[in-house]
Amino acid sequence: MIKFKNVSKFYGPIKALDNINFEIEAGEMVFIVGPSGAGKSTLMKLLYREERNTHGQILINNIDVSSLSEDKIPYLRRRMGIIFQDFKLLPNKSIFDNIAYGLRGLGVSEFEIQKRVAGALNLVGLLERAEAFPEELSGGEQQRVGIARAIVQGPPLVIADEPTGNLDPKTSIEIFNLLKSVSLRGTTVIVSTHNHKIVKEFKERVLVLEDGKLVNDTLLSSVSNPYA
Amino acid sequence: MRSIRIIWRILKETYQSIKFSGMSNFMVISILTVTLALFGGVLQFNSSIKQIYQNLDNQLEFSIYLIEGAETKAIAQKISQIEAVKKVDIIPKDIAWRTFRDKFGFSEDSSNPLPDTLHVNVKRAQDLKPVIEQIKNYSGIEQISYAPQLFQGLRRVRSILFSFGLFITLILAISTITIISNTIQLIVKSRSLEIKILRLVGVDDWYIRGPFITHGIFYGLVSSLIAIIPLVIFQNFVWNSFQASFKTIMPLTFTFDSGNELGLIFVIMFLTGIIVCGTSSYMVTNRYIKV
Repeated sequence: MIKFKNVSKFYGPIKALDNINFEIEAGEMVFIVGPSGAGKSTLMKLLYREERNTHGQILINNIDVSSLSEDKIPYLRRRMGIIFQDFKLLPNKSIFDNIAYGLRGLGVSEFEIQKRVAGALNLVGLLERAEAFPEELSGGEQQRVGIARAIVQGPPLVIADEPTGNLDPKTSIEIFNLLKSVSLRGTTVIVSTHNHKIVKEFKERVLVLEDGKLVNDTLLSSVSNPYA
Repeated sequence: MRSIRIIWRILKETYQSIKFSGMSNFMVISILTVTLALFGGVLQFNSSIKQIYQNLDNQLEFSIYLIEGAETKAIAQKISQIEAVKKVDIIPKDIAWRTFRDKFGFSEDSSNPLPDTLHVNVKRAQDLKPVIEQIKNYSGIEQISYAPQLFQGLRRVRSILFSFGLFITLILAISTITIISNTIQLIVKSRSLEIKILRLVGVDDWYIRGPFITHGIFYGLVSSLIAIIPLVIFQNFVWNSFQASFKTIMPLTFTFDSGNELGLIFVIMFLTGIIVCGTSSYMVTNRYIKV
């Protein structure tokens, strides 16, 4: 589903990503781990074309994302859900409206919005909090809203950029479990995190980035320490 | 159906954006109204003066003031024999003075300063100047008065006022565009999270920009509607009163109506407001909202 071929990204003279190569199959759950500044967020941004790679090719379903014209980018993003470390919820809108906001922009009917949002909230266990406002929720609950917003369109790919960066370990595990359940429904899930301790508890594929280089690509069921 | 839903939602977003702007709306609309009213005023002034000229160019009448003791009837008869002359009316100085005195409230004891006057009508507008040329050297004539001559000075005044008015309008327009751009820019920045969410969900570019552009158009629309009010007031009260007084002073029968073009001026103001505001907002969104 996703192919990185010799991908590099420069910010001026600084090399953020250096000749990255990997493939991800549809339905896989993949962790991208590494310390701060390793290039995890840059890699994620290249996937949803917030940034453009300097060299190489990024293919999603055989479409070269890096050469996509600007007017085609919205179509790419409609096929993916994005989750952020800081949740990015609108404080003056209810949980329901936060999730429905993008759907309204896409011209989805109110009937369809009701159905889809309820389904997504049900999946993350927040259906009863639909009318609450973000400030009334805990950090973990806010991130669950973020996940509900990401999956509400039923995208084949979910990208989570440090989704547990602001959460305690117990809540982080809940969030990762939730993402795992999303993956089990057939969605490809890519999660970046610097929390390798929690990652070890999930027997999933891990890509390790260090100084912009991919230094390890392995399944944790066979290797206990992804940094080894 | 989807397009109708999206347009409706853009309008709702525009309403939210206007509501969010609060007092900034009042400031922008005030300044834009002044600018558009001034612009409309310049156009109205120009249109009025243009119509006066057109009226004057079609003038068929002129006045002749005779010197004291001149043979009024003989001169009138001589002029009436000219081929191009249609009619000559004699206005004896006593009658002219009585009319003038009644109109302006002079006492009956005042001495009469007016001469005998002839009102001459020519058959066609182009006959006016040749006839005047022909009779200006007749004896007994002190002065010939005709409308275009009276307004030669006004032509220069009009030209200066029109240029000055346009210059002031241009300066105000630049200020207004700057204020509109800054207001829209502030709204774009304050709604950056919403914009980012919409972008990353894959919402079309024009849906994201749309509410900001329609917000700008709203400013143009409301301001042009308000700006027409002082122009209508000016047209109906000030300008029409001026015309009435003007007709009294002029020694000629003379009509003009500058109100005909007010509708056209309003359309120009309306379109200018909408196009300028919409374009300014579009440029701001182009600069500050990236896909």
